Amino acid sequence: MTKVFGEVRAVDDLTVSIPEGAVGLVGPNGAGKTTFLRLLLSLLQPTAGTAKVLGHSIEDGVPVRERIGYMPEHDCLIPEMTGVGLVTYMGRVSGLDAKTAISRAHDVLQFVGVEEERYRKVAEYSTGMKQKIKLAQSMVHDPQLYIFDEPTTGLDPRGRTEMLDLVRVIASSPGRNVILSSHLLPDVETICKYIVILDGGHQIAAGQLQQLLTGAADRLRIDVRGDREAFAQRLKEAGLEAEASPSGVHVNRGPGVEAEIFRTAKALGAEVRYMGREIRSLEEFFLELVARNERKGA
Amino acid sequence: MSISLPTYTRREMPLLGRQQRVRAIITTGLRREFKRIGALVVIGMGVAITLITSIVLVLFAPIFLPGEQLDLSFFYIPAGNTTILFFVTLIASVVGSGLIADDLNSMALTLYLSRPITQADYLIAKAAILAPLITMIAVLPLVLTPLVAALLGLFSWAIAVEAMGVSVLIGFLFTAFYTAVTLFLSSLTRRRSYAAAGVFAVTFGLTIPAEILANQLTNSTILYVSPWEDYLAVARAAFGVQGGPALDWPWALAILLAAIVLASFVTYIRMKAVEVVSG
Repeated sequence: MTKVFGEVRAVDDLTVSIPEGAVGLVGPNGAGKTTFLRLLLSLLQPTAGTAKVLGHSIEDGVPVRERIGYMPEHDCLIPEMTGVGLVTYMGRVSGLDAKTAISRAHDVLQFVGVEEERYRKVAEYSTGMKQKIKLAQSMVHDPQLYIFDEPTTGLDPRGRTEMLDLVRVIASSPGRNVILSSHLLPDVETICKYIVILDGGHQIAAGQLQQLLTGAADRLRIDVRGDREAFAQRLKEAGLEAEASPSGVHVNRGPGVEAEIFRTAKALGAEVRYMGREIRSLEEFFLELVARNERKGA
Repeated sequence: MSISLPTYTRREMPLLGRQQRVRAIITTGLRREFKRIGALVVIGMGVAITLITSIVLVLFAPIFLPGEQLDLSFFYIPAGNTTILFFVTLIASVVGSGLIADDLNSMALTLYLSRPITQADYLIAKAAILAPLITMIAVLPLVLTPLVAALLGLFSWAIAVEAMGVSVLIGFLFTAFYTAVTLFLSSLTRRRSYAAAGVFAVTFGLTIPAEILANQLTNSTILYVSPWEDYLAVARAAFGVQGGPALDWPWALAILLAAIVLASFVTYIRMKAVEVVSG
């Protein structure tokens, strides 16, 4: 898909296949995540290309949105309605009959942990409660696909843990799929099994999180205390394929590589703190990819 | 905190059609308006005052309006009652101004448009909340007046029924104009007060200066800019009234219809352009 706004290519020839289950959508600001979500929700039409969501073309907006539960990032609740009133109302606007909507509203409010407060007006709720109401309204019509946009924004550590627990339960339920868009990479790491990373409107990485973070078996990651760039340069001069990144120095395995690494460390007076198979945090992997993408762009 | 799903296994729930979804927005919207004291007071006062003044005019016509013919043209008098203009403007300001502006302000528009409805469904629902409230002023008193007059034996049933039909037509025209313009103004801002001021500006800001200028310059064509004068021109033609400002009713009708179509179209385009997922 491509989506162009004037001269800005917000989504640029993006081809992505999102499997079932919990999928993380990450990228720096301006990466095209929001435009991508709007395209998925069929609130925007692509300039070129198309996509299918749960077997329905995004050009058919209504059937697509019948199957999606969307939890927006920003505050969007109707302040003068009660929690239960709002969730019921959203159920009815999604197409539930009045009886089912009210029964589902109570179910999902209980699930998210809004008990007696459900009869209070939304305007009186704390940030944490509002987030839970936003989650509940996205669940009321029991969609197949949930899109959570920064669900832990503004929450204290306890609220964040509670929200992540809820998202995890939903993501692990049969027949329910989750797309989690977040800047908080540890959140994505704990919930999602698959990840899509966007930058500049392009997909720069996609795959099983475990595989992406573990890296190839024939690569070594060296955590060096000292000048990484100089360390990598010295290894290159010694004939190795080496690359410095924010997460360390990466070297292709081969005969005598370990000995060369220690010789280089000794020569540079650097301390090797870790040497082994590449295991990165999502944050390290993300920073590495974005830096590589920037270098490519430059 | 409970973190077990009440319905752990997903079950396909049959969803009702878009008509029912739109109806849910309308009924909830009307219920919300009828819970607001301000809206209730304005609607109650508006219906009571327009109805009472119209009926009083009919009852005491021989005293207040000696020589007035008691035929269809008589019912132009309640239709041209300026309390209608005042209360329609007031209802449009109090109720209509917030219909879209409040959703923009609270960003609830995101909730609506991420649901399985279209922008057109949303606008139809909002129009269907405001229009019935305006018809309570613009149509109801005009229909009840000939009915009461016929029941009291002051007019024949044939004239009364004809007057009711004409009143419904011109009342709906006036309702459509104020509904479209109010929703358009409401879609332009996040503050309902700005939209309300806009409604007053469209009504009185166009009508009063147009009337003053038309009098001073003795040029009645200026009156075309006033929606109220356009409405009166159409009403005069519909009720068969002779005289009044020299406005051609087809032009007046065309201006009102063009304003309705243009306001609706621009509101729709505006809704399509609103960013409902921001980031």
